[in-house]
Amino acid sequence: MKILIADDSRVMRQIVTRTLRQAGYDGHELIEAEDGAQLVQKANEESPDLVLSDWNMPNMTGIEALRALRASGNNTPFGFVTSEGTQEMRDTASAGGAIFLIAKPFTAEMFKEQLDPILG
Amino acid sequence: MSATMAPTGDDLQQIAEQVWASYLDTDGEKPLVPLPPDKLSRDVVAGVAVSGAWHGLVLVACSSTASKEAAAALLGMGADEVSEGDVDDALGELANVIGGNVKSLLPEPCTLGLPEVHNDADNDPWLTGDEICRFEATWMGEPMEVSVLEKPQGGETE
Repeated sequence: MKILIADDSRVMRQIVTRTLRQAGYDGHELIEAEDGAQLVQKANEESPDLVLSDWNMPNMTGIEALRALRASGNNTPFGFVTSEGTQEMRDTASAGGAIFLIAKPFTAEMFKEQLDPILG
Repeated sequence: MSATMAPTGDDLQQIAEQVWASYLDTDGEKPLVPLPPDKLSRDVVAGVAVSGAWHGLVLVACSSTASKEAAAALLGMGADEVSEGDVDDALGELANVIGGNVKSLLPEPCTLGLPEVHNDADNDPWLTGDEICRFEATWMGEPMEVSVLEKPQGGETE
Protein backbone atom coordinates (compact mmCIF):
# COMPACT_ATOMS: atom_id res chain seq x y z
CA MET A 1 0.00 0.00 0.00
CA LYS A 2 0.99 3.60 -0.52
CA ILE A 3 0.77 6.01 2.43
CA LEU A 4 0.98 9.79 2.05
CA ILE A 5 2.40 11.56 5.12
CA ALA A 6 1.65 15.29 5.19
CA ASP A 7 3.30 17.54 7.77
CA ASP A 8 5.21 20.81 7.43
CA SER A 9 7.77 19.51 9.91
CA ARG A 10 10.39 17.16 8.48
CA VAL A 11 11.06 16.02 12.03
CA MET A 12 7.45 14.98 12.48
CA ARG A 13 7.28 13.26 9.08
CA GLN A 14 10.28 11.24 10.20
CA ILE A 15 8.70 10.44 13.57
CA VAL A 16 5.53 9.28 11.82
CA THR A 17 7.61 7.12 9.48
CA ARG A 18 9.48 5.63 12.44
CA THR A 19 6.25 5.02 14.34
CA LEU A 20 4.71 3.25 11.35
CA ARG A 21 7.71 0.93 11.34
CA GLN A 22 7.49 0.39 15.11
CA ALA A 23 3.81 -0.43 14.72
CA GLY A 24 4.74 -3.17 12.30
CA TYR A 25 3.82 -1.52 9.03
CA ASP A 26 6.98 -2.33 7.13
CA GLY A 27 7.01 -2.66 3.40
CA HIS A 28 4.51 0.06 2.58
CA GLU A 29 5.48 2.76 0.12
CA LEU A 30 5.70 6.12 1.90
CA ILE A 31 5.41 9.46 0.15
CA GLU A 32 5.48 12.91 1.75
CA ALA A 33 3.87 16.33 1.44
CA GLU A 34 5.10 19.50 3.14
CA ASP A 35 1.82 21.40 3.29
CA GLY A 36 -1.86 21.07 2.54
CA ALA A 37 -1.64 22.20 -1.07
CA GLN A 38 1.03 19.60 -1.79
CA LEU A 39 -1.11 17.02 0.01
CA VAL A 40 -3.99 17.63 -2.40
CA GLN A 41 -1.68 17.54 -5.39
CA LYS A 42 0.00 14.26 -4.38
CA ALA A 43 -3.26 12.66 -3.28
CA ASN A 44 -4.63 13.28 -6.77
CA GLU A 45 -1.47 12.46 -8.74
CA GLU A 46 -0.16 9.46 -6.81
CA SER A 47 -3.38 7.83 -5.61
CA PRO A 48 -2.25 6.81 -2.12
CA ASP A 49 -4.25 4.21 -0.20
CA LEU A 50 -4.14 6.28 2.99
CA VAL A 51 -3.36 9.88 3.95
CA LEU A 52 -1.90 10.71 7.39
CA SER A 53 -2.04 14.47 7.80
CA ASP A 54 -1.13 17.17 10.26
CA TRP A 55 -3.88 19.72 10.88
CA ASN A 56 -2.02 23.01 11.17
CA MET A 57 0.07 23.54 8.03
CA PRO A 58 0.97 26.53 5.84
CA ASN A 59 -0.63 27.18 2.45
CA MET A 60 -3.60 24.94 3.20
CA THR A 61 -4.49 23.34 6.52
CA GLY A 62 -5.14 19.64 6.80
CA ILE A 63 -8.90 20.08 7.18
CA GLU A 64 -8.98 22.40 4.16
CA ALA A 65 -7.07 19.81 2.16
CA LEU A 66 -9.46 17.07 3.24
CA ARG A 67 -12.46 19.16 2.25
CA ALA A 68 -10.86 19.96 -1.11
CA LEU A 69 -10.26 16.28 -1.78
CA ARG A 70 -13.80 15.30 -0.88
CA ALA A 71 -15.26 18.18 -2.90
CA SER A 72 -13.39 16.93 -5.96
CA GLY A 73 -14.63 13.39 -5.46
CA ASN A 74 -11.39 12.00 -4.02
CA ASN A 75 -12.38 9.63 -1.20
CA THR A 76 -8.93 8.36 -0.17
CA PRO A 77 -9.02 7.16 3.45
CA PHE A 78 -7.77 10.10 5.53
CA GLY A 79 -6.62 10.36 9.15
CA PHE A 80 -5.22 13.26 11.14
CA VAL A 81 -2.03 13.11 13.21
CA THR A 82 -2.04 16.40 15.04
CA SER A 83 -1.03 18.12 18.25
CA GLU A 84 -4.61 19.00 19.13
CA GLY A 85 -7.13 16.38 20.12
CA THR A 86 -10.10 18.30 21.47
CA GLN A 87 -13.59 16.88 20.95
CA GLU A 88 -14.41 19.89 18.79
CA MET A 89 -11.54 19.05 16.44
CA ARG A 90 -12.43 15.37 16.40
CA ASP A 91 -16.00 16.31 15.46
CA THR A 92 -14.78 18.68 12.75
CA ALA A 93 -12.43 16.01 11.40
CA SER A 94 -15.18 13.41 11.35
CA ALA A 95 -17.65 15.77 9.68
CA GLY A 96 -15.03 16.49 7.01
CA GLY A 97 -14.66 12.82 6.25
CA ALA A 98 -11.64 11.78 8.34
CA ILE A 99 -11.61 8.23 9.68
CA PHE A 100 -9.61 9.04 12.81
CA LEU A 101 -7.59 11.65 14.66
CA ILE A 102 -4.42 10.61 16.46
CA ALA A 103 -3.21 13.27 18.91
CA LYS A 104 0.47 14.00 19.44
CA PRO A 105 2.36 12.76 21.33
CA PHE A 106 1.41 9.33 20.00
CA THR A 107 2.69 5.81 20.43
CA ALA A 108 3.04 2.86 18.08
CA GLU A 109 0.11 1.25 19.91
CA MET A 110 -2.10 4.23 19.06
CA PHE A 111 -1.12 3.86 15.41
CA LYS A 112 -1.91 0.13 15.45
CA GLU A 113 -5.31 0.72 16.99
CA GLN A 114 -6.33 3.13 14.23
CA LEU A 115 -4.46 1.68 11.26
CA ASP A 116 -4.96 -2.07 11.66
CA PRO A 117 -8.50 -1.90 10.25
CA ILE A 118 -7.12 -0.13 7.17
CA LEU A 119 -3.68 -1.65 6.66
CA GLY A 120 -4.25 -5.00 8.31
CA MET B 1 -8.62 34.01 33.01
CA SER B 2 -10.51 31.90 35.51
CA ALA B 3 -8.52 29.73 37.85
CA THR B 4 -10.23 26.60 36.59
CA MET B 5 -8.99 27.23 33.04
CA ALA B 6 -5.40 28.11 33.83
CA PRO B 7 -2.70 25.54 33.09
CA THR B 8 -0.25 24.97 35.92
CA GLY B 9 3.37 24.00 36.19
CA ASP B 10 2.24 20.47 37.04
CA ASP B 11 0.23 20.38 33.79
CA LEU B 12 3.31 21.47 31.84
CA GLN B 13 5.41 18.82 33.56
CA GLN B 14 2.90 16.09 32.73
CA ILE B 15 2.66 17.16 29.08
CA ALA B 16 6.43 17.54 28.70
CA GLU B 17 7.07 14.13 30.24
CA GLN B 18 4.60 12.55 27.81
CA VAL B 19 6.33 14.23 24.88
CA TRP B 20 9.73 13.13 26.10
CA ALA B 21 8.58 9.55 26.68
CA SER B 22 7.12 9.41 23.17
CA TYR B 23 9.84 11.13 21.16
CA LEU B 24 13.02 11.99 23.06
CA ASP B 25 13.39 9.28 25.69
CA THR B 26 11.78 6.28 24.06
CA ASP B 27 14.25 3.85 25.63
CA GLY B 28 14.26 5.48 29.06
CA GLU B 29 17.91 6.45 28.87
CA LYS B 30 17.52 10.21 28.42
CA PRO B 31 14.82 11.23 30.92
CA LEU B 32 13.61 14.75 31.45
CA VAL B 33 14.54 15.30 35.09
CA PRO B 34 12.10 17.61 36.87
CA LEU B 35 14.82 19.45 38.75
CA PRO B 36 15.55 23.09 38.04
CA PRO B 37 18.89 23.40 36.29
CA ASP B 38 21.76 25.23 37.93
CA LYS B 39 21.39 27.97 35.39
CA LEU B 40 18.58 28.65 32.93
CA SER B 41 19.44 29.12 29.29
CA ARG B 42 17.34 30.62 26.56
CA ASP B 43 19.75 30.20 23.66
CA VAL B 44 16.90 28.82 21.60
CA VAL B 45 13.24 29.62 22.23
CA ALA B 46 10.48 27.98 20.22
CA GLY B 47 6.89 29.03 20.63
CA VAL B 48 3.38 28.80 19.32
CA ALA B 49 0.87 31.59 19.62
CA VAL B 50 -2.62 30.91 20.88
CA SER B 51 -5.35 33.33 19.91
CA GLY B 52 -9.09 33.50 20.32
CA ALA B 53 -10.82 33.35 23.68
CA TRP B 54 -7.34 33.48 25.19
CA HIS B 55 -4.21 35.15 23.84
CA GLY B 56 -0.67 34.11 24.60
CA LEU B 57 2.28 31.90 23.89
CA VAL B 58 3.44 28.42 24.77
CA LEU B 59 7.24 28.36 24.82
CA VAL B 60 10.01 25.80 24.95
CA ALA B 61 13.43 27.23 25.80
CA CYS B 62 16.75 25.51 26.15
CA SER B 63 20.48 25.76 25.68
CA SER B 64 22.07 25.49 22.27
CA THR B 65 23.51 22.12 23.25
CA ALA B 66 20.12 20.79 24.34
CA SER B 67 18.49 22.03 21.14
CA LYS B 68 21.02 20.11 19.03
CA GLU B 69 20.59 16.99 21.17
CA ALA B 70 16.82 17.25 20.78
CA ALA B 71 17.05 17.58 17.01
CA ALA B 72 19.48 14.67 16.88
CA ALA B 73 17.23 12.46 18.98
CA LEU B 74 14.14 13.30 16.93
CA LEU B 75 15.90 12.79 13.61
CA GLY B 76 17.89 9.76 14.66
CA MET B 77 21.30 11.25 13.92
CA GLY B 78 24.31 12.60 15.80
CA ALA B 79 24.21 16.02 17.46
CA ASP B 80 27.18 17.07 15.33
CA GLU B 81 25.23 16.23 12.18
CA VAL B 82 22.17 18.42 12.69
CA SER B 83 21.78 21.68 10.80
CA GLU B 84 20.34 24.95 12.07
CA GLY B 85 17.22 24.13 10.09
CA ASP B 86 16.95 20.77 11.84
CA VAL B 87 17.18 22.50 15.23
CA ASP B 88 14.49 25.02 14.31
CA ASP B 89 12.23 22.28 12.99
CA ALA B 90 12.75 20.07 16.04
CA LEU B 91 12.25 22.76 18.68
CA GLY B 92 9.33 24.20 16.75
CA GLU B 93 7.66 20.80 16.66
CA LEU B 94 8.23 20.30 20.39
CA ALA B 95 6.55 23.67 21.01
CA ASN B 96 3.75 22.71 18.62
CA VAL B 97 3.01 19.40 20.34
CA ILE B 98 3.24 20.87 23.84
CA GLY B 99 1.21 23.89 22.71
CA GLY B 100 -1.52 21.71 21.28
CA ASN B 101 -1.86 19.91 24.59
CA VAL B 102 -1.76 23.13 26.61
CA LYS B 103 -4.47 24.57 24.35
CA SER B 104 -6.85 21.88 25.58
CA LEU B 105 -6.53 23.46 29.05
CA LEU B 106 -7.38 26.96 27.83
CA PRO B 107 -10.74 28.61 27.21
CA GLU B 108 -12.38 27.78 23.88
CA PRO B 109 -12.48 28.65 21.10
CA CYS B 110 -8.78 29.21 20.43
CA THR B 111 -6.54 28.76 17.43
CA LEU B 112 -2.96 27.54 17.51
CA GLY B 113 -0.48 29.35 15.29
CA LEU B 114 2.42 27.82 13.43
CA PRO B 115 5.60 27.40 15.49
CA GLU B 116 8.30 30.06 15.48
CA VAL B 117 11.89 29.77 16.69
CA HIS B 118 13.71 32.77 18.15
CA ASN B 119 17.37 33.01 19.05
CA ASP B 120 17.55 36.37 20.79
CA ALA B 121 14.98 35.92 23.52
CA ASP B 122 16.07 38.82 25.68
CA ASN B 123 15.41 41.39 22.97
CA ASP B 124 12.42 39.90 21.21
CA PRO B 125 9.07 41.69 21.55
CA TRP B 126 7.23 38.54 20.39
CA LEU B 127 8.36 36.76 23.55
CA THR B 128 6.72 39.12 26.00
CA GLY B 129 3.70 38.54 28.20
CA ASP B 130 2.58 37.69 31.70
CA GLU B 131 3.91 34.31 32.73
CA ILE B 132 1.14 32.02 33.96
CA CYS B 133 3.16 28.92 34.66
CA ARG B 134 6.54 27.36 34.08
CA PHE B 135 8.20 23.98 34.25
CA GLU B 136 11.96 23.88 34.59
CA ALA B 137 13.89 20.70 34.06
CA THR B 138 17.27 19.26 33.26
CA TRP B 139 17.78 17.08 30.21
CA MET B 140 21.10 15.45 29.46
CA GLY B 141 22.65 17.87 31.97
CA GLU B 142 21.28 20.85 30.07
CA PRO B 143 18.55 23.35 31.04
CA MET B 144 15.10 22.87 29.52
CA GLU B 145 12.11 25.09 30.22
CA VAL B 146 8.45 25.10 29.23
CA SER B 147 6.33 28.14 29.98
CA VAL B 148 3.01 29.77 29.16
CA LEU B 149 2.73 33.54 28.71
CA GLU B 150 -0.56 35.37 28.57
CA LYS B 151 -0.86 38.50 26.48
CA PRO B 152 -3.43 41.17 27.27
CA GLN B 153 -6.54 40.59 25.18
CA GLY B 154 -6.13 42.31 21.86
CA GLY B 155 -2.36 42.12 22.24
CA GLU B 156 -0.17 41.11 19.35
CA THR B 157 0.35 37.34 19.23
CA GLU B 158 0.97 36.72 15.56
